[in-house]
Amino acid sequence: MGDAHRPVLLRRTRGRLANPAGAPDAIVGWVRAGFPAVRTGLFGFTAYLAVLGTGGAVLVGLPGAYVLARYEFRGRETIRSLTVVPFVLPAIMVAVGFTAMFGTHGALNDLLGVVGLHLTVAFDLPLVVAALTFYNAPLVTRFVVAAADTVDARAVETARTLGAPRWRAFLDVVAPQLLPTFLAAVLLVFVFDFMAFPIVLALGGLQLATVEVWIYSLVSNLDLTEAASLAVLEAAITLTLTYVYLRYERGGGAGTASATVERVPLVGPPSAGRLLAAAYALVALVLYVGPLASMIAESLTRAGSLSTANYAFLLAQQLGSGGTRPTVAVSNSLVFAVGAVAIAVPMGVSVAVVTSDKGRLRRLAGALLMAPLAVSGVVTGIGLLQGLVFGVDVLGYHLSVTGPVAIVAAHAVAGYPFVVRNVAPLLARVEGDLVAAARTLGAGPARAFRDVTLPLVAPGVVAGAAFAFAVSVGEFNATIVLARDGATYTMPIALERYLSNPSIGPYLGPAAAMGTVLLVVTAASFVVVERLGGRWEG
Amino acid sequence: MKRRDYLRAAGATGAFALAGCTGDGESGSDGTVTTSATNATSGTASGSRTLTVATYPTYVGDESSPGAWLKEHFETAHDGVTVEWTTPSTGSSSINEYVQRAKQGASIDADVYVGLNTDELVRVDRELDDRLFANVGDDLSHAGDVKDELSIDPRGRALPYDTGYITPVVDATTLDVVPETFDDLLASRYRGDLLMENAQSADTGKAFLLHTIHEKGADGYLDYWRDLLDNDVRVLDTWKAAYNAYTKGEAPMVVSYSNDQVYAANEGEDLEKYEIAFLNDEGYANPESAAVFADSDVPDLARAFVDFMLSPDAQDVIPQRNYEFPATTTGSLSGSYAKYAQTPPTPVTFTYDELAGNVTEWIEQWARLVASH
Amino acid sequence: MVRLELSGVRRTYGDVAALRGIDLGVRDGEFFTLVGPSGCGKTTTLRCIAGLETPDAGAIRFGDTDVSDVPPEARGVGVVFQHYALFPTMTVRENVAYGLRFDPPDGSVDERVAAMLDLVDLAGMGDRDPDELSGGQRQRVALARALAPAPDVLLLDEPLSSLDARLRDRLRLELKRVQRELGVTTVYVTHDQAEALAVSDRLAVVHDGRIAQVGEPEAVYDGPETRFVAEFLGENNCLDGRAVGGETEGSLVRAGETEFAVTGDHRGPVTLCVRPESLDVNASHNQFDARVRDVEFLGDGYRVHFEWNGRDVVARLDDAPTGSVTLGFDPADAVVLER
Repeated sequence: MGDAHRPVLLRRTRGRLANPAGAPDAIVGWVRAGFPAVRTGLFGFTAYLAVLGTGGAVLVGLPGAYVLARYEFRGRETIRSLTVVPFVLPAIMVAVGFTAMFGTHGALNDLLGVVGLHLTVAFDLPLVVAALTFYNAPLVTRFVVAAADTVDARAVETARTLGAPRWRAFLDVVAPQLLPTFLAAVLLVFVFDFMAFPIVLALGGLQLATVEVWIYSLVSNLDLTEAASLAVLEAAITLTLTYVYLRYERGGGAGTASATVERVPLVGPPSAGRLLAAAYALVALVLYVGPLASMIAESLTRAGSLSTANYAFLLAQQLGSGGTRPTVAVSNSLVFAVGAVAIAVPMGVSVAVVTSDKGRLRRLAGALLMAPLAVSGVVTGIGLLQGLVFGVDVLGYHLSVTGPVAIVAAHAVAGYPFVVRNVAPLLARVEGDLVAAARTLGAGPARAFRDVTLPLVAPGVVAGAAFAFAVSVGEFNATIVLARDGATYTMPIALERYLSNPSIGPYLGPAAAMGTVLLVVTAASFVVVERLGGRWEG
Repeated sequence: MKRRDYLRAAGATGAFALAGCTGDGESGSDGTVTTSATNATSGTASGSRTLTVATYPTYVGDESSPGAWLKEHFETAHDGVTVEWTTPSTGSSSINEYVQRAKQGASIDADVYVGLNTDELVRVDRELDDRLFANVGDDLSHAGDVKDELSIDPRGRALPYDTGYITPVVDATTLDVVPETFDDLLASRYRGDLLMENAQSADTGKAFLLHTIHEKGADGYLDYWRDLLDNDVRVLDTWKAAYNAYTKGEAPMVVSYSNDQVYAANEGEDLEKYEIAFLNDEGYANPESAAVFADSDVPDLARAFVDFMLSPDAQDVIPQRNYEFPATTTGSLSGSYAKYAQTPPTPVTFTYDELAGNVTEWIEQWARLVASH
Repeated sequence: MVRLELSGVRRTYGDVAALRGIDLGVRDGEFFTLVGPSGCGKTTTLRCIAGLETPDAGAIRFGDTDVSDVPPEARGVGVVFQHYALFPTMTVRENVAYGLRFDPPDGSVDERVAAMLDLVDLAGMGDRDPDELSGGQRQRVALARALAPAPDVLLLDEPLSSLDARLRDRLRLELKRVQRELGVTTVYVTHDQAEALAVSDRLAVVHDGRIAQVGEPEAVYDGPETRFVAEFLGENNCLDGRAVGGETEGSLVRAGETEFAVTGDHRGPVTLCVRPESLDVNASHNQFDARVRDVEFLGDGYRVHFEWNGRDVVARLDDAPTGSVTLGFDPADAVVLER
């Protein structure tokens, strides 16, 4: 699995790239053959793809976490805030960015062409894995950085004075404390990759169909029974994984950091770490900045030449009657997201607290409460349609729940598991004595929780809230079902409408322009939210 | 046009007067009065009526959409009538919501459905025992104008109002030889050159697949596709995803629409990059139909609306506004659209009867073949 | 065991000079305390010794070796922090054994760990997790962990400050006992002057990034060299005045209207310091009248706050006085500091 990311760069390079030093021949052969897929059926292939995607996310996400946790530099906070942004981008926009960046005639090939290299990755597993990595590596980074903020610097120093070199102290003292959060991130990434589908089809094609692709097709065909049984099987797998994870989730031991590990300046004399940071910056440039810049470039292009036509289109939609107004989409998205976070955070923290004790029953409850992540989005949409939208007759009244309130509730439900998984590992490390001390000082349980426990798990709460926000902004399946009138559209829905507007034809520019708006609005929100949250974190 | 409106309005008033005098008129549940003599419905003298039309989101919208035109002109022609568009978009197909509503006994709050594909009608009937749509074909004055090759529903429920033609579009600046037949696509010179869309979810993909079945037969199409897959055809998610890859130069052929040059010409692009390659001189027609819900409260008005969509005036406007072709023999194209949108020498499509009982199986077999290839 | 020497150690954070040149010699096997108010630089000094901070200038020597460029893991120090800093993911035994991974003992690791746990009175607790221990037990684990690899220098950074008073007193004795048993050179950092006086072989008062005074506790207590030291170590009544020539022996210090007799030959501006316990109602010298303001009962006596000439004077007395009394002190008990 350790090579999941490397093939993107090596695959089908027609022997012109340098021989990957030290890689065993077997792996190289496997890589060059385009990872002959372990096709053991639909679920087998889906799991295989998920494993590759998770590997990519870990390989890219962990060094990112290291750089953000270890080094201090201008814009560090902002970059940390922005790590969640890829999460909200619709698949088609990522596809646009990736094709422009990694395609046969993409920017990367233009660059490689300078040194006589060429890379063909289109429509193949490596490109899909890279896209899954694009989506999910930030999740690993964000989770791990949040956990690193709670590691006790004195424990690391003690290990050093006891004879451990820096790397060894990291391995023995820091890593075990990060492990639970890291594993939580890996679990979530795996679940996401397992259920990924628009991006797989957009970049890889039906040849790489996953379980979710079939579920979508079955639902479209109204084959709901079969869709449901596939979805149940899919959910069963992810929930079982969650249960297994919870069984081994340890808080990393109780302990309260008296001092957090101090970050060192990024700019300084070369060291192994700083070289890694530089290498990582290059990877981030290629994997993140490249595709995002490509998408923005697409929004400024029409039929191959520079143009403001796409933004003119947005403006016309804004000013004309009956159009899909960008400002409405922006404000709806933000209102829903704020509402969803306001519900998801207390909900997630409560669930984390309630399921924090040991015991099989709690673990089971903990796993089941992660269901919103584990259940297919397409199936959830159908469920909401038949349950909430069609409504039920109760005592002669017809109850039907749609509109903004239902949307906010659905978004909150989709987002709270992130809060749970971020907070739970930190919660397990809060010392009972501290809460007891607060109680003896006259604080009620709730007050003690607010004054003592909550500040200690604050980094997790803020990280979880950021993800809940992102999930809300990016949500599509439930929103489109619950928004019953033409006016309750969010940014992704507006983007989708521009995408299929017949007057636009095949051009992606207007959607890319909306994608750029989505990107800017989301990025700005995260920076603002985290500034506020950061102040509260102390 | 003005004259016609006047006549209709006058006829309606006359009918009302008659009803008022004799109490012999056909009275709707909401007190509206209809007349079957002209097949045209009218407003009432007392109060207004609302016609709810369901469609997919992009059919309505800004002033340039076909929906906006239809609303404006239908309302002008029918005093006191308000056209309300509703766009229940639940994933890939808006019609699915109504099928599910009918199944669950939830109310269907619409009178007309606009944007029905032939295979969707097949699905509707497969899922529901009771009929969802009324037979209206015989009652419409313009039903006979629909082109023969587009008459897909023998029971007169779904009436095509526009159509697209699906065909490969090729970049002739990179391809030396443009393919002319389906078998040409299997040639090694086109290896890895064709992009298409998932027939499970994209209209273009489905149309192209059905075209190959039309060509190779239900017994032979899988063999053809096996060869096509061996020749590295790539099945992407959506038309946009495939087209994006096409314009970025990932492959020189994409399954698309026969009017692609309209967009290219509007943007001043090199038309050679968007050469329409009708295989075997054919293009697969993907007609969009309108249908009247069987339990509409205003069936007369609903029928009038569908008839209006098929009228020569509407056919000159709404297909082109939707960037499609007219479905009737009366409709025509105008401007650059007329110049650059191409119609296949021989349009082909499967009718309702040909698809019924087959289409689901055809697509599923194909998808399994692709996914396991 | 080793001699420890700091010369000219400086450390600046941005614009703030934390250490302005520390010169210090700690003898082999000595229990040496750095005491001072918070922010004085004592902890920074300790972190420099451990190698956790790099001085901007100056040298640190263990014996004859300059360790300035030696990373913390190679210095052979053991550190105990105020908040224990136990490794939360390891058991007590694993914590104590951690340093032995890098510096295996002559005998078996298990025996060494057992001996260490025994030393700190935690025998049989090896399998516990840190979060199952009380604060005092945790700190003893931290001590055992620091001592297990037999460090040359033991560094203790406010190790008792997180504990309650009674436990602190007990652990202080235990610390001293263990230190004496092993004879390890120890640097102890505390802000608590009473603790410093109680445990140290010698101590250094740190003030504003510099060493104000070094010496044995009694010597520094009885012979402060600056007013800061006089007032920081224990309680003191300090009074600015002017020394003038006196009778045959000693001098006279004039403060306002009053003259006090002191021993030794002093001239010019001075500060006169008299410990509360040196003041007495029955004294025959240096008498002055003061009014009682507050009385605190301490069990073995009283601490009385007096007002005299508008200033606060503190005395330790056996009985609680009321109203106005006459206080005095022996000239030999007063310390005179030249200003």
